[in-house]
Amino acid sequence: MGSLPLTEPVLLILLSLAGQSQHGYAILKDVERMSNGRVVLSTGTLYGALRRLLEDDWIERFKEEESSRGRQAYRLTSQGRRNLQMEIDRMKHLTRLASLRVALKES
Amino acid sequence: MLSLYRKLLRLYPAEHRQLFGEEILTVLAEEREAGDRRIIAQARLLTRETAGLVVGAIREHLRVPVEIQAGLSAVSRRFAMRNGFRFPKSTIVFMGLILGGVLTAIKKGEDIATSVPHDIGPVTPVHIQPVHSILLGGMPLFFAFFYAAGLIGWAILFAFRRSGVHRLADISGEQK
Repeated sequence: MGSLPLTEPVLLILLSLAGQSQHGYAILKDVERMSNGRVVLSTGTLYGALRRLLEDDWIERFKEEESSRGRQAYRLTSQGRRNLQMEIDRMKHLTRLASLRVALKES
Repeated sequence: MLSLYRKLLRLYPAEHRQLFGEEILTVLAEEREAGDRRIIAQARLLTRETAGLVVGAIREHLRVPVEIQAGLSAVSRRFAMRNGFRFPKSTIVFMGLILGGVLTAIKKGEDIATSVPHDIGPVTPVHIQPVHSILLGGMPLFFAFFYAAGLIGWAILFAFRRSGVHRLADISGEQK
């Protein structure tokens, strides 16, 4: 889990937590929204991924203060943010390279 | 539906259930409340979540038992057979090479046998089992032996993993 490149569901989970902390259901819905309905995670899959990300110290778990139900929420750790940034840089490089190569072929 | 999910959660290791059990049920309940009420949509949701829970439980059982403390991990990977564990690709290449070697040896043996002149006079018939039949007969045994050896090795590693012996290495490491 803690190795790059990331799988798409894991990348989407991390992106969901990049902006703000979220609880489980919000992550599920955010992942679905971000992928335009292409990636629909089951709850079992989501919590398997969250567990591995917790173990690898990419995210942390805390009790939501403002929630009346006192739900558990998740947020990125500094290590998780750093690794996400690395993955984004890797993807940017790939996209740039792909565009160049395709343009070269067309010309 | 929730009672079914609750039953399926029993398939998970106790540690995972204690940590995430109630949270998973809350998410499932929220999903059900917010979801489409049509029967087809409900059936799709039920199928997806049931499969997700069963597969998730299997994956968790195959994982290293570790303690999670709010995102803090102090896990030694020394004996960890993680989900990503696969036989090295080189194993397949070596097996292919061995098989190729055996087949070449059989072919060579047959070539030699045909090149030897047969008109050397009457010979008392002696029943000799052909080389290739010995080799082919032995091959399943050969593979069965290595398969069994691999299985035993895996079982030992699995037993180490389940016993938590790798944590002892952590303790001694911390004391230094």
